[in-house]
Amino acid sequence: MTLTAASDVPAIRAEGLTKSYGRKRGIIDVDLEVRRGEIFGYLGPNGAGKSTTIRLLLDLIRPTRGTASVLGQPAHGSAVKLRRDIGYLPGEMTLYPRMTGRELFQYFAALRGLRDLTHAEELAGRLECELDRPIKALSHGNKQKVGLVQALMHRPSLVILDEPTTGLDPLVQQEFYRILDEVRAEGRTIFLSSHVLAEVERVANRVGIVREGRIVVVSEVETLKRQARRNLELHFETPVPVQDFERLPGVVEARPDGRVLSLTVEGSVDNIIKLASRYTVLNVLSREQDLEEVFLSYYAASPPEDAAPGGDEPATPDGAALGA
Amino acid sequence: MLRTITTKTLRDGRRSMLFWTLGIAALNVLIVLVYPLIETAPQFDELLGDLPDWVVAIIGEGELTSPAGYLNSQLFAALLPILFIAYVGAAGSGAIAGEEESHTLDLLLANPVSRTRVVVEKALAMTIGLAWLGLVSWASVVLPAMIIDMDIGAEYVAAVTLSAVLLGYFMGGLALAVGAATGSRGLSIGIVVLVAVMGYLLNALAPLVEEIEALQRISPFYYFYANDPLRNGLDAVHVTVLGVGAAIFVVIAVLGFRRRDVGV
Repeated sequence: MTLTAASDVPAIRAEGLTKSYGRKRGIIDVDLEVRRGEIFGYLGPNGAGKSTTIRLLLDLIRPTRGTASVLGQPAHGSAVKLRRDIGYLPGEMTLYPRMTGRELFQYFAALRGLRDLTHAEELAGRLECELDRPIKALSHGNKQKVGLVQALMHRPSLVILDEPTTGLDPLVQQEFYRILDEVRAEGRTIFLSSHVLAEVERVANRVGIVREGRIVVVSEVETLKRQARRNLELHFETPVPVQDFERLPGVVEARPDGRVLSLTVEGSVDNIIKLASRYTVLNVLSREQDLEEVFLSYYAASPPEDAAPGGDEPATPDGAALGA
Repeated sequence: MLRTITTKTLRDGRRSMLFWTLGIAALNVLIVLVYPLIETAPQFDELLGDLPDWVVAIIGEGELTSPAGYLNSQLFAALLPILFIAYVGAAGSGAIAGEEESHTLDLLLANPVSRTRVVVEKALAMTIGLAWLGLVSWASVVLPAMIIDMDIGAEYVAAVTLSAVLLGYFMGGLALAVGAATGSRGLSIGIVVLVAVMGYLLNALAPLVEEIEALQRISPFYYFYANDPLRNGLDAVHVTVLGVGAAIFVVIAVLGFRRRDVGV
């Protein structure tokens, strides 16, 4: 297929992509480049504009301004041709309730001119997908599996998955991640949106973080991991000298509260544990930062000119508003 | 049945189609079989003669005891076209807006099918569905009419049935166009009901009021019924108006659907 041959062009390129919905949230000036053969994690809280971006790429909605090209073709002008080579799992997906999974695959395969359903059968088997019951009788997770199989069954060059693991049980999730790894190993591209940092960390090469419609940062996952911080809460028998802990490398912040010391740590906690062991430690609580805190730490860590388009907005510690 | 959007749409509607088929057939057979009772009761015509003009206009027929008058008044003037419009109103408004409101349209359009193709295939499904109901209706009038030896020509029953089917295509096209262009099934159904009710009344009553007499011709029902197809056959101009109107609505549906955002 000609579309797949031009592997030097990016799988997705967006320039200044903007969709305004009046007062509703859209996306603003999104610049994005997804390379061939990578898994790109599109990370952001619910309502940040992830689905809007995806639906623009698929020509389901049209941009207010800006351009998007997919597999080297303009998203709007060549939508039908492009979709032969794209697999898509919608975010809030609804399947035809009275069809069975098998019938759905047959229908979409026919629309795609796909004769061979062995790959669909194989994927369905691996994900333990229920094929012969009406979709309306399936649990949310089982519907999601049907959606995943239809997105992958024609071996598309570009797989666009909007919150793919919603409702999947952990074992199936692992198998799904393995499938994604295989897709990447075949040189195909995956664009995956998620509001779960751990998921993106697990599968993606690179990640773009979107917040309130703007891309905040695009980074290698490894870089993000190195920057990732954890919150450490040390419960001592007696109060300890805070300044000793503050001086340790990697400690970003230390907040004493009586006999409890809360630390924000970048990188290894080794030094801290060694120092803490000189005192009587009653308890240690360690917690990875969640997405909201990653956003905030990113804002705090970046000089203003690097803070991307979203940098002019104060990073409020209002976690509820983001609801990740 | 799952090879195309058209056949899949027809398959989705197969249960409902079974009831439409049985319902229309039963209704028609019943109406025809009752005719011998009416035929021998000329007082019905006298009764009709005593009614004011506007009531007769709404009934759509000036005599009840002749075969054509009986069938027009009982079936063709109002009941059958209204049933056809109900069928296409549901099919047309649901074609695009229905999938959109039940959130399956994103997934359908993720396949390599153009929006034009989706509209045209859905329109085709509606066309086939109504053509089938037209055939059922024709057969379920003509066959019992033969049994009771009713003096009515099968070709004239075909003419009035085809005229009602064309009116259905026109109204179904309207439903499809509004639904495809706006994404709102409720709006689509509302407009179809409004146009059907206003169209029926305008066609029936406008000729009685000199000032609005000319307005009769903006009613789609005029082109369905003005020629009295059960007695006179089809009028080429009227057939063309309904057919071309339906086609224009499909074009509007395509253009309207192509240019807008698909709702979530």
